[in-house]
Amino acid sequence: MSKTKDAGRVSEKTGRKLDEKKIKALLERFPEGDPRCLIHALQDIQATFGYIPCEVVIRLCDRIGVPMSKAFSAATFYKAFSLDPKGDLIIRVCTGTACHIRGAQTLVDEVSGSLKVKPGATTKDLKFTLETVNCVGACAMAPVVSLNGKYHGNVQPGTLVGKIKGGK
Amino acid sequence: MSEKTINVEINGRFFQAASGDTVLDVARREGIEIPTLCHHDGLEPFGACRLCMVEITHKDWKGWSGLVAACLYPVEEGLQVATDNDAIAGARKTVLDLLLARCPGSDKIRRIAAAHGVTKTSYKKAPHPTTCILCGLCVRVCAVKGANAIDTSGRGIGKKIAIPFRQPPPDCIGCASCAHICPTDTIRCEDIEPTGSAGGVRKIWGHSFEMVKCDACGKPILPRKQMEYEAARSGLDESYFSVCASCSQAKTFKTIGTAFDMEGVQ
Amino acid sequence: MFNQGPSWARSKAGNEMRIESVKSLKSLADKVRREQKKRSIEILVCAGTGCLANGALEVAESLERAITKRKLDAKLKLGVKRTGCHGFCEKGPLVVIQPAGIFYKGVRAKDVKEIVEKTLEGDEIIKRLLYRDPVAKKKVETYQEIPFYSRQHRIALRNIGKIDPAEIDDYIAHGGYQGLATALSAMKPDEVIDSIDTSGLRGRGGGGFPAGRKWRTCRNAAEEADEPRYVLCNADEGDPGAFMDRSICEGDPHAVIEGMVIGAYAVGAASGFIYVRDEYPLAVVNLARAITDARERGLLGDDILGSGFSYDVEIARGGGAFVCGESSALMKSVAGEVGEPRAKYVHSVIKGLYDKPTVLNNVETWANVPWIITEGADAFAALGTKKSTGTKAFSLVGKVKNTGLVEVPMGITLREIIFEIGGGIIGDRPFKAVQTGGPSGGCLPEAELDLAVDFDTLTSKGSMMGSGGMIVMDDQTCMVDVARYFLKFLVDESCGKCVPCREGVNQLWLLLEDICAGKGKKGDLEKIEALSDTIVTASLCALGKSAPNPVLSTLRYFRDEYESHIKGKHCPAGICKDLFKFKISKEKCTGCEACAKACPVDCITGEKKKLHKIENKKCTRCGACRNVCRFDAVEVVR
Repeated sequence: MSKTKDAGRVSEKTGRKLDEKKIKALLERFPEGDPRCLIHALQDIQATFGYIPCEVVIRLCDRIGVPMSKAFSAATFYKAFSLDPKGDLIIRVCTGTACHIRGAQTLVDEVSGSLKVKPGATTKDLKFTLETVNCVGACAMAPVVSLNGKYHGNVQPGTLVGKIKGGK
Repeated sequence: MSEKTINVEINGRFFQAASGDTVLDVARREGIEIPTLCHHDGLEPFGACRLCMVEITHKDWKGWSGLVAACLYPVEEGLQVATDNDAIAGARKTVLDLLLARCPGSDKIRRIAAAHGVTKTSYKKAPHPTTCILCGLCVRVCAVKGANAIDTSGRGIGKKIAIPFRQPPPDCIGCASCAHICPTDTIRCEDIEPTGSAGGVRKIWGHSFEMVKCDACGKPILPRKQMEYEAARSGLDESYFSVCASCSQAKTFKTIGTAFDMEGVQ
Repeated sequence: MFNQGPSWARSKAGNEMRIESVKSLKSLADKVRREQKKRSIEILVCAGTGCLANGALEVAESLERAITKRKLDAKLKLGVKRTGCHGFCEKGPLVVIQPAGIFYKGVRAKDVKEIVEKTLEGDEIIKRLLYRDPVAKKKVETYQEIPFYSRQHRIALRNIGKIDPAEIDDYIAHGGYQGLATALSAMKPDEVIDSIDTSGLRGRGGGGFPAGRKWRTCRNAAEEADEPRYVLCNADEGDPGAFMDRSICEGDPHAVIEGMVIGAYAVGAASGFIYVRDEYPLAVVNLARAITDARERGLLGDDILGSGFSYDVEIARGGGAFVCGESSALMKSVAGEVGEPRAKYVHSVIKGLYDKPTVLNNVETWANVPWIITEGADAFAALGTKKSTGTKAFSLVGKVKNTGLVEVPMGITLREIIFEIGGGIIGDRPFKAVQTGGPSGGCLPEAELDLAVDFDTLTSKGSMMGSGGMIVMDDQTCMVDVARYFLKFLVDESCGKCVPCREGVNQLWLLLEDICAGKGKKGDLEKIEALSDTIVTASLCALGKSAPNPVLSTLRYFRDEYESHIKGKHCPAGICKDLFKFKISKEKCTGCEACAKACPVDCITGEKKKLHKIENKKCTRCGACRNVCRFDAVEVVR
């Protein structure tokens, strides 16, 4: 089992300090020695920090009794988790079937070309993240794009970059 | 589980099996060849390579038959198994053909594929070739060892055997079971001999493990970290681990010899 | 970002909320109904994900403000209710005014003033907000007259659009938890299973396995081994294009909970989970609230309705993995592991969650259960066909005029759904294919439109009904691209454990990519068919086994389109960007300039009322011009 390292308080990835209070509050939500809540805990970590910092996982593994290798395996298996910090604006283009046949790929190409970021990646200045999602369930308004969780339906080609750079 | 014997038919011949046996268990016992890649008798069957596919049917199944993985399929009374026919050969060929595209540089895969009639892959070679076939044996043996140092990362075609957060795994004890069990010799493990005053070192997964030397002959035996781990797990004293196998054997013979006046008997 | 809060902590109810008995439940229902009857007008605002994205929240808030300001709640005895998805998402935001059934579509916050003054205070119907029936070619005032609704038979979706999913008492007033009360007080667990058997209910998630048989097997296995058992709900709804389960979880979460408690009673389970996919945050919120409310009311948790039976559920969230809709992968995910399926030679009803006997059923399946208990198994079995009883919810999307959620009796034909309920193809373009069953399903062409939709008929023709996603395609859809799309989806979603799926589906996708890029070779189709055969027979789980279906079904019905891509290096539908050009027809172009305005790269030139021209070097073939042209003047050429 992992020994408790003195997990650094500064995130390796962002150079910013990780809020110790937040880490403590998060860990306390999960019962000691119960590995079954791993996915749940990773979701809370993703929601709290915007990504999965190694430093927090070390402490989580200690608390719930999960090997680091398993936590890393889960963090990389599920698309909901990101090892790297995301941008201030997360652009999610739905590529479900209904959206696909109504031109979702064109929207992805447009944003990718304009912001110079590949799908799944974040711009270097951490301003934008472009992702594709496998169906958000709003198929009747295809194609659908969400900007930081706010859904926009019937997005026409040529209009998306404007929406992104204008109001969010 | 009941102790009742179960009668199964494999390739037209009848055999007896115990409840809980898999088709592979019975086949191996009776000397019937079924190829495997991700199977190991010391580990729970995994069913990932799909090389051990066999065709099963049953008189009560109204003519239904299908391919299943022999390593996992539990025997049942009246089961009828075929271990080789056109459908099975075709499936095995395709599996090996696909592995050849994934691992064009692996001698082991090339040999097994050739043995099944596949000398060249029909598919696109992987853009970043590897010799890892993702059989999972390394992860599974590490789990049985109790270290759980390595596991897979990602999913699908991007799946890899990984070290957590791309750093030398904190839980690795350096036992190298993973390297030994790997069917394609993918895992690099380097044992560096002691030179001068420097002790032996084992390099694996980015770690450099200090090796424990044999008290008697000075040869490196196992990593110190592994010794500490095994001692803690077994409750045995660390001194148990600090004599190598040959020296330990010699000591035992000497002891027996002395006790029974058998000096001179090697 | 969504944060559920301390979900591992169980809330203890304040006792005054608890319904202690079946009798108290009935009294409460009567009481709430009396209260609700005092309202003479009820304004239902759809607050499903679709309408919310279109501004439904602003509409609801505007209405509420206007009503409060003018004191209309007291004066006219009316109220606003935010409901779940009405199903007619294309036309949202939707507002229905009961009891008249006045149906307003495309309502914006700025329309609220007029609605309040003319329709609520006055008696006038605002014509521009009415739905226009494309078949009858006239405007329709009430939703009962809209074929999209009138042709439906809503059982699983019975309450959605009528109740406020945040109010448990509204659910109770509409007959909610009556099924549970009946089961607990008047039926033995075996009798509940018998009832489900008689109803003929088959799993609505796509597998179609008889629910009663599943429950009975689980119960028997658990009793034999004297083990705890679990009752789970699969709300992973991974098929792209399907949103039936989302709507039920958002719009009627209590129906799911009630169904699960009835199932738990039948099987003897004490706990369970609702596994909701990560991409449905509103469904998680509404289910979580419903669980809390049900616990408070004593309808979930310890000693339900004073019967002595206890069962509780928690929400387990998915992590963005389609494979976790597969039962064994789902159970691993609930247990905190990666969602890698296992070969199910021993079924999950025998060894499921934590290796214990487990019943896992889909959201829609659970939603049907309370209705079956209250209305009777025979009533359910009387609907649909002999082997596929009851109704099925479909998400009708794609190139169809009336996109949305419909529930119809099994056995209805594809033609009726697409043309009579769906209103036909957008722009009245030619129908090309309908895709059903998600990535495990297939495409059916026009010749098969009269097939009955049920569990078995579509399968015999190379497709499958699946979970209910129905995607309509017109002549501007490329079937080779559709196959490529589904394969790419499966490449991303494969768990990667077994060779045939991880390596084989990837190679299939690479072959399709080449074909769509004009690099297809002679022999490719035979290669695809041979490889597909091994993937089907040798894959470990249903994801792999069904992965070749989209490509095999399109090859079966649209082989010539493949040949055109391979031999002719041409995409007749105008989708595969390397295999065609757009050209504006001299005969059809009217010079209306719409295409030039819509073009995102400014590659169309032309004077007003004169023939326009596309500069092919700049053209990205995005199709915006074709979409916007009303004269069908943008043609696909080599």
